Amino acid sequence: MSGKTSGGFLERTIQGAVSLLQETVSVENVAARNGFLQHRDPRFKCLSAAALLIAVLMSRNLAELSVLYAAVLCMALLSAIGLFFFLKRTLLFVPVFSLFIVVPAIFSGVTPGEPLASFKVLLWNLTITRQGVDSAIVFFMRVLDSVSFAVLLVLTTRQHVLLKTLRVFRVPQLFVMTMGMTYRYIFLFLDIIQKMLIAIKSRVGFVASTRDGRKIVTANMAGLWLRSYRLHSQVYDAMVARGFSGEAFVLDEFHARVPDVVILLAALMALIGTLWLNLFFR
Amino acid sequence: MAQSVFSLKDVSYSYPGGIPALENLTLDFNQGERAAIIGANGTGKSTMLTLLDALIFANSGIVSAWGNQLTEKTMRDAGRQRDFRSRVGFVFQNPDVQLFCPTVREDIVFGPLQLGVDHAEIRRRLEALANRIRISHLLDRSPHQLSLGEKKKAAIASVLIMEPEVLLLDEPTAGLDPQTMRDIIDVIDQAHKNGKTVVMATHDLHIVEEIADVVHVFGGNKNVIRSGTAEEILADTEFLQQNNLVHIHVHRHLGVAHAHLHEHGHEHPHHRDISGFR
Repeated sequence: MSGKTSGGFLERTIQGAVSLLQETVSVENVAARNGFLQHRDPRFKCLSAAALLIAVLMSRNLAELSVLYAAVLCMALLSAIGLFFFLKRTLLFVPVFSLFIVVPAIFSGVTPGEPLASFKVLLWNLTITRQGVDSAIVFFMRVLDSVSFAVLLVLTTRQHVLLKTLRVFRVPQLFVMTMGMTYRYIFLFLDIIQKMLIAIKSRVGFVASTRDGRKIVTANMAGLWLRSYRLHSQVYDAMVARGFSGEAFVLDEFHARVPDVVILLAALMALIGTLWLNLFFR
Repeated sequence: MAQSVFSLKDVSYSYPGGIPALENLTLDFNQGERAAIIGANGTGKSTMLTLLDALIFANSGIVSAWGNQLTEKTMRDAGRQRDFRSRVGFVFQNPDVQLFCPTVREDIVFGPLQLGVDHAEIRRRLEALANRIRISHLLDRSPHQLSLGEKKKAAIASVLIMEPEVLLLDEPTAGLDPQTMRDIIDVIDQAHKNGKTVVMATHDLHIVEEIADVVHVFGGNKNVIRSGTAEEILADTEFLQQNNLVHIHVHRHLGVAHAHLHEHGHEHPHHRDISGFR
């Protein structure tokens, strides 16, 4: 018998499904809080986020990027999102990886300029330049700001509402609806997968090898595909039964208020200011 | 004489692969009637409801609604389709099939939106219906966050909001706790009092007398084997047992185990020896 057991394989797959469900519930809970951004019209929020992202991408100045980052942290606090929770989500993954990516840029070979420090690694003489460090920091801050704006938008807007705002960008209604349905049924299938794997585990326990465990799961994937195929035809029937004839109509539930317009204007001003500073002032 | 709503004449239907689901079925449903369809699994109850909702079409025979034949060709007409969909509501057996939108609110308003009902009117209906069925607190939740009972209520609401003349219900009380079952029965009963024709397939015999004026029993021949009032049919325990509609129920009276057929609403005979029921 193999040293590895399928218990671990099945356990990890079940755990993966459960943690995705828990993660979604946790995000939905944040989006349901009584905070500043949670009450904003998602169309205005999306447009503001887009304007701020462009501002971040256009900016080459550390001070500007720092101001934008301070703004995003303030917005998070106003939206009843704990600072630790927010930083954990925004700082740990993407920006830290971007820091690794940007390391070569600090050396004179990639970014020539005023030397800050020199040292030798094996046969190579390496020199860190001021220009290299500056551009690396600006790159890191750009990534950090962009990730923070995107995460803030996702955390303060319920997923299905976020999907609906795609209509603002002229995405066809049928496409938005299909995305919404996909989002809805992912959870049904996650639930089915979870129950199915628990049922398998109850029978095979921790005895079978990892390879056997994978075989069992693969065989059940085919069963799941058949279920989804059957479900798709039934769901279509349920849609037709309620009058669907190929074109989907929805109830417009968005209501813009004064703070929504204010936040969009502020974002546009930040964008114009950044463009002015970076394109004309220097 | 009551106006006929649905009429099936010598209808047969087979699923792909030639598996027969209904064979030469002839049956009528009248305006304002409350009809229960009972029968063992695989006797064609759900298939008949799907035929009545014009989601599938008979291989042979005639299915008509308000005197107009339901065929693939006639249902291709957009006006006819819209008129039919606004008059007939179908509650599917599996609420996960019926609740396909990201939130309960979107699911409930889906039908009237597709049928072109005015948005203000939809909002008015939604508020009234959600209060009546007591699901206002569920409206912004995702269907995957609901219990089975809540899903069933939302699924029924998604059909009632269309204000159809006929309600087709496929096992609306299956697998529910007693209180939710009671709530669903009350909703169906209220819909009937408001003038709706109700056709319901069910395995819950104990609710049949309350929710149906007429009962059609489907048998292994994929056809109706008996029709009558709920009282008549439920009283014939031998007939029900022959058609897999009651089972042996063992319980204790005064510390003594005994068995009888599992039925409700009638005095039942008691037997100490359960072997006679096997």
